[in-house]
Amino acid sequence: MGTGLSRWSSSIRIGFRGLLLRKVRSLLSTLGIVFGVAAVISMMSIGEGARREAIEQIKLLGTNNIRIQQLSLMGERRLEAERRASRGLTYDDALLIRDTFPALVTVSPLKFVNTEVRFEGRQGIAQVIGTSPEYGEVTDFRVMRGRFIAPIDLLETKNVCVLGSEVKHELFGYRDALNAEIRIGDEWFTVVGVMEQKVIREGKAAAIKIRRINRDIYIPVTTAFRRFSSTGDPLGIQEIAVRVDQAENVSPIARLIQGMLKRSHRGVQDSQVMVPEELLAHAQQTQRIFNIVMGSIAGISLLVGGIGIMNIMLANVSERTREIGIRRAIGATKGDILAQFLVETVLICLAGGVIGILLGFGLAIAITRYATWETGFSFASVLIAFGTSASVGLIFGLFPARRAAHLDPVQALRFE
Amino acid sequence: MLIQTFDLRKTYQMGHAEVHALRGVRLEVAHGEFVAIMGPSGSGKSTLLHLLGCLDRPSEGWYHLDGMTIESLHDAELSRLRNKRIGFVFQGFNLIPQHNVLENVELPLIYGGMERRNRRETSLEILHQVGLGEKISHKPTELSGGEAQRVAIARALVIRPLLLLADEPTGNLDSQTGEDIMKLFADLNRVGTTILMVTHNRDVAAHSARIIDMMDGRIVGDSKGTALVAQGLA
Repeated sequence: MGTGLSRWSSSIRIGFRGLLLRKVRSLLSTLGIVFGVAAVISMMSIGEGARREAIEQIKLLGTNNIRIQQLSLMGERRLEAERRASRGLTYDDALLIRDTFPALVTVSPLKFVNTEVRFEGRQGIAQVIGTSPEYGEVTDFRVMRGRFIAPIDLLETKNVCVLGSEVKHELFGYRDALNAEIRIGDEWFTVVGVMEQKVIREGKAAAIKIRRINRDIYIPVTTAFRRFSSTGDPLGIQEIAVRVDQAENVSPIARLIQGMLKRSHRGVQDSQVMVPEELLAHAQQTQRIFNIVMGSIAGISLLVGGIGIMNIMLANVSERTREIGIRRAIGATKGDILAQFLVETVLICLAGGVIGILLGFGLAIAITRYATWETGFSFASVLIAFGTSASVGLIFGLFPARRAAHLDPVQALRFE
Repeated sequence: MLIQTFDLRKTYQMGHAEVHALRGVRLEVAHGEFVAIMGPSGSGKSTLLHLLGCLDRPSEGWYHLDGMTIESLHDAELSRLRNKRIGFVFQGFNLIPQHNVLENVELPLIYGGMERRNRRETSLEILHQVGLGEKISHKPTELSGGEAQRVAIARALVIRPLLLLADEPTGNLDSQTGEDIMKLFADLNRVGTTILMVTHNRDVAAHSARIIDMMDGRIVGDSKGTALVAQGLA
């Protein structure tokens, strides 16, 4: 079977020679393929980047999560809310949710406190959040040193806090922060823990705005109510984080919560229930449309490129009629001639594919840099690009190659 | 007999007109003969050469090459037959421009599926034999006419053909170079190669042992006495 292999390698070499024969022409004829493949590659890189970003965001918010956020109402809707005396989102809502699905959910309230944070005269840029011991569990966010807020802290409304890694670093540098006293607003708080660091990448394509949670400072929610409630309901909170036990329960529970809140808020739409996974699914839908558009561009480009290559190959075949005649005379079969021209076309297309892959990745890198969209390299996209360009070569090379193969040897030899 | 044909006819369709290129050719050529086919243009000598070289099939009549019935062979079988048994030499040399000398000579062996090392050895041997051992990596455009024709002859001989067919092999060469090529042919014939050559040059034809004259698609003369019965005129 060695002869079969050598015959193929010869076919490839013969085809390659044919290409070098018309360098400029071969190069130009590949442009369609180049752009088509580049579009495929950059599209897939962007898609891959978006996918990774989505997964990262889901992880950051915690899987199987529902978020309920307080909406700030304006104008008429605000008056309406006041007329109906809705309390807005409160700690009671959080307790209601917890007590309605005791076995299915873990609930944590979030009260954002706008105040200054200081330690030894140094001011930290931080978001103070009143929350409950369940917060870590709900969001999959763990304490690295010390402990998180405990139930006893809530009961006794203790002045304790847990620092996010960036805040800790800003206030304490490499010093130990545990048991230090920091000033939050007008109160002294004891640091009882430091959170682990979360890697957050911010992309413009992000479906969900994410807080820079490494800059959070957590205090017991009850302490927050007592020390920092100035306006509105004394038990008012801005967000409730809910973790559902199983993925399939997320959507139904989200609907139920929506109903419950509507009733407890007396029909006022002052909160929104958000399911990150649904939002991401929605974002991916948008992504899919983008993919279809890019895919169509790539497809048209490849089609045009393929037709261009077919055209060039037809010209090649008629210019090389005599060569075909010679080859037939010395014993090349129709199959040999077919293979020769097919290999030539596929090689052109593969060369175009390689250039297109490089261009595509270049484009992806440029997009990452200038549009700050996340892009990702996927090996599959390279395989697909190679596969597509080879297929274009095979499909559009077949007609010229068949024409070459079916030339009459005698006629071909007479060709001047 | 190496070649036996009977009532060989070839008709082409040229637009609406029918062209009778061959009008019944009966020919016998034995192993080891050196035959020249002569005739004015349009006499059908090239068509006959193409038929004998299995490049084409007759419209009528039959052709046996070394006992094989050619009319019944498929296209691929004809290709294989040309590849293994028949060497062609053309007036215009017909080398493949993008391949160098060695690769041109190797080409029939590539199509024959010979292993790389074997075909290189065989090709080099033949190239030395025709006196071109030094120019194996030259491109055809870098060769003189005589050298190019030697390469073409080497390509025809590399398969050790049963039959060497030449179509005006000296047509594009000056008389001295043409003479050299004919001497090479004579040498090849002396060691047993059967040669059939088309020419319209008497001096070139004189190198052969047998001259066949053609006119209007028929054989009108054969210097081999026994065959002189007016074939094709019947």
